[in-house]
Amino acid sequence: MLSCISRVHRSTRLNSLTILRNLSKNSPLQFENAENGEKKLSIPQENRFMYQEFLPDPELKFRNQVREKLERSDMIKRRSVIDIPSFFVGSILSVTSADKHDPNKTRKFVGICIQKRYCGLRHEFVLRNVVDNLGIEIAYDMYDPTIHNITVLRLEKRLDDDLLYLRDALPQYSTFPFDMEPEYLLDGAPVPINDIKVKLKPRPWVGRWERKGYKGIDDVDQHITEKMKGQKKKLEEPWEKYDLMKEYRRTIPEEEQEEIFSEVFSELHQLSLSNKKLKKSRVYVKPKKTG
Amino acid sequence: MALNHNLRLALSNCNRILSRKSNIFETPFLFGCSEVINIRQKKVWIRPPRVKYPLWFLQKERAEYIENLTRNNKAFIEEVVHDQCGAPAVKSGIETYNTPLKIEPLQPLEITTSSKRTGLIGKIIGQYPLWMKNGEKCRTTLVQVVDNHIIKYIPPEEFKPNRKPYRGEPKRKLGCLLVGAESGDPSLYTKEYCGLFKNSGVPPKKKLCRFIITPDAMLPPGTPLTAAHFRPREFLDVRGLTVDRGFQGVMKRWGFKGMPATHGVTKSHRRGGCIASGAGKARVYPGKKMPGHMGNRWRIAKGTEVLRINTTEPMMPQRCWLNQSSSLVVRAPL
Repeated sequence: MLSCISRVHRSTRLNSLTILRNLSKNSPLQFENAENGEKKLSIPQENRFMYQEFLPDPELKFRNQVREKLERSDMIKRRSVIDIPSFFVGSILSVTSADKHDPNKTRKFVGICIQKRYCGLRHEFVLRNVVDNLGIEIAYDMYDPTIHNITVLRLEKRLDDDLLYLRDALPQYSTFPFDMEPEYLLDGAPVPINDIKVKLKPRPWVGRWERKGYKGIDDVDQHITEKMKGQKKKLEEPWEKYDLMKEYRRTIPEEEQEEIFSEVFSELHQLSLSNKKLKKSRVYVKPKKTG
Repeated sequence: MALNHNLRLALSNCNRILSRKSNIFETPFLFGCSEVINIRQKKVWIRPPRVKYPLWFLQKERAEYIENLTRNNKAFIEEVVHDQCGAPAVKSGIETYNTPLKIEPLQPLEITTSSKRTGLIGKIIGQYPLWMKNGEKCRTTLVQVVDNHIIKYIPPEEFKPNRKPYRGEPKRKLGCLLVGAESGDPSLYTKEYCGLFKNSGVPPKKKLCRFIITPDAMLPPGTPLTAAHFRPREFLDVRGLTVDRGFQGVMKRWGFKGMPATHGVTKSHRRGGCIASGAGKARVYPGKKMPGHMGNRWRIAKGTEVLRINTTEPMMPQRCWLNQSSSLVVRAPL
């Protein structure tokens, strides 16, 4: 998967606006010529990353075909009401949701997505920001009907599957202004990978980041003791990536993925097209100056 | 002692006679009343066993033996099964038979507030998040209702509940409906068990259940039941097995507080402490809460709310805490 995406090197300075990005990243549709001459939609391989939550939990204990089907249909129903863009861990989002304690009854929160977890209708993403020198994380249910709007302000990927270590990083890495403007990518451009290395604060930390093998941390060894280095080496499992059975149990097989996406893809594709049209037709209103 | 022994013999004999009877409801007098039997030229009153097995308590699975069937034989058996039960079909993920209906279209029943309707047999298929109107997230349990059919109706006159009748007992008002779920292959069950389903025109069911009803809520045998039997915002009683937790200590099983971690406490941080006093009766009272096996018991979750009903895939999410592996019995509160 990494090979198909060309890496875009970014300057390590945050807030640099060098690359234009696209909000609704939809790869152009390919048509496969079937035997009987009919045109058939071929399902893009990136679906498994873009619509990751449509794949069920691979744990056999929790599998049930009927329930999964029902969940998928409910997810599509929700997607037909609001535009849920596809984004990745490391993207910067703004989420507007209903809040009964707020005077305006809505709350807007901007932050970096540090984790995406759970499958199906209970899919969650965690946003992190630092407001008034206080780290704030909010876990949103993706299919929560109280969410009014999800906007991707900067679409990019990071080197790791989750960025939980930002909790112990310097605050500048997870500080984003609330009035941040969305950056756009060219149509059909690949999602850039931000290979920034994060500097951690000195210990004590919330987690044992040195043991997880994160690629996005700048020199973990300078923070840890000799004993911890020994422990880290002892707990390393470099053979794990060759464990085929583990990989099989951890993932949904490709044939099943195809089955699932062939069921939902045509509706998802139509939804994304209609959302695109809506976005174009929206009239831009220039904000008025006050005070 | 000899007499006692004879008594026991007679009793066992009695049992055998009972089990041979095909329909115990046809011989109500035999049950619950004492009998006079001559033992060594003496009249002895013998109480029959109190346990009365209902008519559907039969040997279900037949013994497995090598039948040496040829391919043609197997095909013939399959053909016969399909003739009787209809073509095999997969209904919402579960293999059953597509049995054609053999009953006439039903007239809508007149149900009053005092009438008791039948319940359903369901299966928990997972947890499902739902959001309420006020934005609250609610964790629900999905219950799937698969292929429920009514097997038999037993009117109040014939239906005897499992207890000793007494003189001057009021007239029985409640009948009973036998409901089955998930059709199975009739060649896998015994002849007696398959005979239960003869009148309803339904293949033998994997699961059977009894529901006590008022006669006005009676449905003829062979009627299919679906999740549409209930409506959202109804409150149901759900019976099922709880999660098996194995042998558990007093803290997990009964919620005892345990003892402190420090201050001189040794080896008894999770113990229950004293179980009785030596001053009063000087013994342990029955029912004392102690460690033991926890869970895997039949329990009724009362007043679970139906939040939503899906009729295409028959199931209903509701608030419930029962075990996923067991099949459930769902019915409106008594």
